[in-house]
Amino acid sequence: MSEPATTNHPIMDPRFAPTFPNAALVELRNPQLRKNVAHATDVIQSKRNRLVAEKTDWLRLRSSASAIRAHVLEHLGTYLEQFEARCTAAGGTVHWAADAAEARSIILEILREEQAKQVIKIKTMTSAEIQLNPALEAAGVEVFETDLAEIILQLGDDEPSHIVVPALHLNRSQVREVFARRMGRSDLTDDPQALTEAARTYLRPKFLNVPVAISGANFLIAETGGVAVVESEGNGRMCLTLPRTMITLAGIEKVLPRFQDLEVMLQVLARSATGERMNPYTSLWTGVTPGDGPQNFHVVLLDNGRSSILGRNTERQTLKCIRCGACMNTCPVYRQTGGHAYGSVYPGPIGAILTPQLMHMKHAQSLPYASSLCGACYEVCPVKINIPEVLIELRAQVVDQERKETARVYDPMYLGMRIANGIFASARRFRAAQRLGRMALAPFTGKDGWIHSLPALGARWTMTRDLRGLPKQSFREWWDAREREAK
Amino acid sequence: MSAHLSSRQSILDRIRVAVRSNDQQLTSDYAQIERQYVRIGKMEDQARIALLIERLREYDAEVVETSIEGLPAIIEAQLSSSGGRTFAAPDGLPAEWLSGEFVWKLDSQTSDVDLEGADGVMTAAFCGIADSGTIVLHHSATEGRRALTLLPDWHLCVLRSSQVVETLPEYFDRCPLAPTLATFVSGPSATADIEMTRIKGVHGPRFLHVILVRDHDAVTGL
Repeated sequence: MSEPATTNHPIMDPRFAPTFPNAALVELRNPQLRKNVAHATDVIQSKRNRLVAEKTDWLRLRSSASAIRAHVLEHLGTYLEQFEARCTAAGGTVHWAADAAEARSIILEILREEQAKQVIKIKTMTSAEIQLNPALEAAGVEVFETDLAEIILQLGDDEPSHIVVPALHLNRSQVREVFARRMGRSDLTDDPQALTEAARTYLRPKFLNVPVAISGANFLIAETGGVAVVESEGNGRMCLTLPRTMITLAGIEKVLPRFQDLEVMLQVLARSATGERMNPYTSLWTGVTPGDGPQNFHVVLLDNGRSSILGRNTERQTLKCIRCGACMNTCPVYRQTGGHAYGSVYPGPIGAILTPQLMHMKHAQSLPYASSLCGACYEVCPVKINIPEVLIELRAQVVDQERKETARVYDPMYLGMRIANGIFASARRFRAAQRLGRMALAPFTGKDGWIHSLPALGARWTMTRDLRGLPKQSFREWWDAREREAK
Repeated sequence: MSAHLSSRQSILDRIRVAVRSNDQQLTSDYAQIERQYVRIGKMEDQARIALLIERLREYDAEVVETSIEGLPAIIEAQLSSSGGRTFAAPDGLPAEWLSGEFVWKLDSQTSDVDLEGADGVMTAAFCGIADSGTIVLHHSATEGRRALTLLPDWHLCVLRSSQVVETLPEYFDRCPLAPTLATFVSGPSATADIEMTRIKGVHGPRFLHVILVRDHDAVTGL
């Protein structure tokens, strides 16, 4: 793995990434990025909203999609074993990887057996999660991303900022600059048509000659042992069809009970992800088919923290996610910062709950706070993940962790909280604090009753907003005075 | 390898500790999943076909309608209009579809690299879904292997009106057994990765032509 200190792209490894507020500050000062992100999320959102509105049974589809995913998680072990048995019977080989390192070594071992020096890849966020590309390159394997956005990122030494449209933070002239430089095509214009054509020409020979492909999976079908990949460009179909060997890396939560469940999932996925009634291509294959497509097929089932998420009641719903990205398009925080600030391949609201959990709450603890808890993500989620509920649960866990740290004993926030705890525990102390507060704040309170500027720590509040001054009388004081007058 | 085997066991053990799943209840739990969404459409035959055509055209696909008798002539006209000479085809298509005016490369006799040299491809299909403008291929003898409808830049697909359903669930009702291979095609290959501008034709066929054959009367008349 490359050292984060020496890379010139954003750090997307939650173990080394800066905290969200620090990373966000950098992104917020980049007007071009904010313009690009706002444009892209606006376009997808409005298309999504229009197509959801036309679907009269949307809420019922959403309920079913949620119920199917919840049911899978309840019976995950059984469905995974079923998938394994059926996929194996159809000629596939199923591997189990407890963590990222094991998944990488399984894939490297397959490539060694295949004596493959090159691989083509379909966009898979799971492979980014396990940092597969650097590991492949370190082992001397040349990696060719084939999704247009992934090519842009790979050639530009950049990182994904969205799970569906990973290069949405770049505009056409930035893409043109990358292609011209890395493909040696100074003739290119910044017309998206020309840029797309350049990618087609660049990849065509790779599709026909590279012996091994690596994909993710949108769905694994327990009933049949089949795998479904949902895409737009056809690069997925190329990778699934032309090489002699195919490796699919999938999180253990990706399984669906039956083939027929796709009738729900495909209807909600495309609408939520790209605002289309259906994405251009969906491929479904089962093991190995003689005379059609790769004759060696491997599935790597990845745990990497998922089974521990499964064991927690509130957090379990995180695993219902079908990676549509609707939550990020609608999130008022993501729409300002873009994806890189999250320091994870999973940005936005779903990333804010998934990333720290995949890190066993040992890293990315600032992410559960990267939200205003407005609930927009829950509203658009096609599988009804109550993201705000999980965010609050994770915040509580972060606080519980921090409270135990000796370094936090004199942290102003925790000190303040302990003092507040003592004050609120007694009416006498509370009244004394009110009187003290009134006296202390009086010099800062303007004639209009507002505090416009405070010194020291208080300035962190007043530098961006005013504070209402304390009233001259508390409710209890007013009530007591009223009683006295009545007598 | 033994390390991987033990990972299998440890992952399954962790899952079983996390959720106490009761396999006896699996089938009944599954049956209880609520499915109140629209399964079967209400459209008449004509409206359903019209909707499919409208949706396909929204995806920039070309659509022409014909009768069973008119099919060979329409096929020839479509092939001619493409400007190509060499076309790929699955082995199981009716002989009268393969006009002698053109050079045909049959699926079983054509390598992937040879397919690259074809000007286009003609296939049948398993199903058309009006609601989303989707054509489903099951890669049978009349649809060909997957590479066949992928490498050539121009795809002519012959769909019978009796194969057209209104909703996606209706397609699943037409599959008594799950297909081992399926490709759902909704318009030509496309991307919106650069500034959300929809660009037609990245890697898959850039041109999708659909011939809709009216065989409904023939079928219902039986």
